[in-house]
Amino acid sequence: MMKKAVEVILLLLLFFTPHTMGKRYSPPGKPALTRCRSPEKETFTCWWEPGSDGGLPTTHALYYRKESSEKVYECPDYHTAGENSCFFNKNDTSIWINYNITVVATNTLGSAFSDPVDVDVVYIVKPNPPEKQTVTVMEDKGWPFLRVSWEPPQKADTRSGWITLIYELRVKLEEENEWEMHLAGHQKTFNIFSVQSGGKYLVEVRCKPDHGFWSEWSSTSYIKVPDYFHREKSVWILLTIFSAFIFLILTWLLHMNSRSLKNCILPPVPGPKIKGFDKQLLKNGKSDEIFSALMVSNFPPTTSSNYEDFLVEYLEVYVPMEQELMQEESKDLHGGSLKCERSTSDSDSGRGSCDSHTLLMDKCGEAKEEGRHTDRESGRRLTEAQRHQKGWEEDTLTYAHGDMVSPDMSNGRVKTWPSVFSPLPRYSSNPLDEQSSLEMAKQHCLSQPGHSTKEALGPSNWDLCLGNKQPHLLHPQTQVGRQLQAHSEVNISSIGRKQAPAGLQSPALRSTEYVEVQRVNKEDLVLLQPVVNAATTGCGRIEGYPPMPKEKDYSKVKGVDSDNMLLLQREVMEEDWCPGVDQEINGVTGNCYTSSTVSNTHKPTACIHTAIPVQANMALAMNGYVDTATMCTLPTC
Amino acid sequence: MAHRKTNGSKIFMTVLYMVAACRAVAINDLLDRASERSDIMHSLSTTLSHDLDSQFPPIGRVMPRPSMCHTASLQTPIDKYQALQVSESDLLSLARSLLQAWEDPLAVLSTSANTLPHPAQSSISNKIQELQEHSKNLGDGLDILSGKMGPAAQTIASLPYRGGNDIGDDRISKLINFNFLLSCFRRDSHKIDSFLKILRCRAAKMQPEMC
Repeated sequence: MMKKAVEVILLLLLFFTPHTMGKRYSPPGKPALTRCRSPEKETFTCWWEPGSDGGLPTTHALYYRKESSEKVYECPDYHTAGENSCFFNKNDTSIWINYNITVVATNTLGSAFSDPVDVDVVYIVKPNPPEKQTVTVMEDKGWPFLRVSWEPPQKADTRSGWITLIYELRVKLEEENEWEMHLAGHQKTFNIFSVQSGGKYLVEVRCKPDHGFWSEWSSTSYIKVPDYFHREKSVWILLTIFSAFIFLILTWLLHMNSRSLKNCILPPVPGPKIKGFDKQLLKNGKSDEIFSALMVSNFPPTTSSNYEDFLVEYLEVYVPMEQELMQEESKDLHGGSLKCERSTSDSDSGRGSCDSHTLLMDKCGEAKEEGRHTDRESGRRLTEAQRHQKGWEEDTLTYAHGDMVSPDMSNGRVKTWPSVFSPLPRYSSNPLDEQSSLEMAKQHCLSQPGHSTKEALGPSNWDLCLGNKQPHLLHPQTQVGRQLQAHSEVNISSIGRKQAPAGLQSPALRSTEYVEVQRVNKEDLVLLQPVVNAATTGCGRIEGYPPMPKEKDYSKVKGVDSDNMLLLQREVMEEDWCPGVDQEINGVTGNCYTSSTVSNTHKPTACIHTAIPVQANMALAMNGYVDTATMCTLPTC
Repeated sequence: MAHRKTNGSKIFMTVLYMVAACRAVAINDLLDRASERSDIMHSLSTTLSHDLDSQFPPIGRVMPRPSMCHTASLQTPIDKYQALQVSESDLLSLARSLLQAWEDPLAVLSTSANTLPHPAQSSISNKIQELQEHSKNLGDGLDILSGKMGPAAQTIASLPYRGGNDIGDDRISKLINFNFLLSCFRRDSHKIDSFLKILRCRAAKMQPEMC
């Protein structure tokens, strides 16, 4: 039996031996003190990390030594703080004293000492987290905020001032990743503003002694902010309504001022203002037509090189309706082409009368006046030009019948050559041929009615308006392009100033002499030159161009009174009258009317019946001429 | 002249009024200020120590024991229980004594810092100078405080520094001695700070939130 027991033991030993043979036993590894902490500066705990145990059960021991003595003490409490720890209670803890702490690991083979660590309790304070943390939602003037409050850790004695703590908290929304940190200082409450309505928040607090370590974060507090949606929404609703209102007002304002704004932002593009130009030609795009329309065959006048210098735009000449046809044109177009614009036309058969508003009163040369009337005349001129283009015959017919009676006949515009009013003895007839050309050619100053036919007439029409009384005046020759020669005297500008009725003294002249307009200079002065006297009057001039002005009817201008009234006197001369013309003149005496350019009232001029000889007040030289036809039936005569 | 006279009298009256209206700063306020300054002082010394230790060779370091500080002879409480037993006057006296004891050594530290063989020498030197300034200000404040707290607070223990001006010859010894002195100061500044904060809490009965 003994033998068997020994064998069993040997067998067991053999079994166990291989297990133990693989391990090497060694002394324990060196432990290391990891940290020592004091939560309240009254106790502290040290933890160590053991080294390798060397395969053998190892025990650890902590020894410490206070700086003032050499006595070595061992850790009083290995368990309170857990494993591998040493807890120093209040009795064992002294402050402002260095602890020299060493941990020893021991096993059967040996022991290992850790590195000694000097610890002063006051430097290792790490308090517990704050306690009794509460978070509530509070309201400040309708806006929510969070109020967080807490208590210092229980162990820390802050009441006596032993420990002074400062606090810090952090907040975040549940779905966020980053915390929002707030330092609270010594206080134990804190308000968090700018919270979202309906948000769920997490709040944590921690503390730190004045010269220690931060505690751990406290347990998380959850708080949900109730919905304050309606408040925010109401603001948005108000804003939306307000902005919509403003928008409506702005739209309405824009609509009301759309036109002026349009003109301001996009000013209308000025169109072509070529008078008499047909825009349709442009649109048609045929350049030939366009250029032909622009061109006047006889223009520029080739007879005189000075014609290109004419700058006068408009010389307003009143042309009685029927006299328009008379431009015949007999007018040789020598001389300057004064373009007078016929402002209005009357139906006095072209002879002119006292009350005819064709009596020229204005200065023809003043472009401004013309310009003023331009717009008014443009329409009329345009129509005239168009009509003339169709043909004289038609036009004159229409003219004669008052078709062209201008609606504003009564306005009393009298245009005239300023020279007409001058005392210069010269008179001139200013038949202005209408030119088919656009611009001023429109003006037809028919100087006298019946140029062609009335060469025999003594008194001929003064006023430069074209007076087409009779159809036969429509000469075939009166074509477009004829220029009317303006025989005017001298300075047009000077003429208007002369108001003296004695404007007719030009004593030098006893017989009619003519001047032709050389040109119009820049000051709107019509420069005249005497015409070679080719006045061979005769009645048989009807058909041809009546070269002689003296074949025309002229009325002598007595003068211009203060009202810018043309005082006319019928010429006494009769020797130049052709009987036929005379009759014609007589024939047209019926349509007399007068007008004055300045005032719309009928004012008396020196009105003489055609048959009446010169009146006493008309003892003027025979150089001033007035259209006798226009002088009759003056109501105020 | 009359204008000046009125001005002068106005100024005088204003000053008089202010003096009469002004109360002396309350003790708790004074303590509050003092503890704040001591707090700064200690923080500064802690920073300095860390700066020094960063460069200090960990091996071969032979630290003189803090028990060898020149202020070690002063009996100070060693735990909370003892500290709370000390009267306010004694606490203040202790604080003032400690502060007074460091007046000279700080000067030694300051001069040594100028030639300290350390990479952060200039920063250390500046901080030493700040420490001196804080120390002086705190001393002045504590003097005023002691006047309000009774005769026992006037007692200042004499703790002379006998280390001399020279802190060492070679580099290592210089550094070691500098570090040692600095550690002593750090502890003493902590003591001062703790005492003052205890005093502050005791004086702030009206402001429990302070403590």
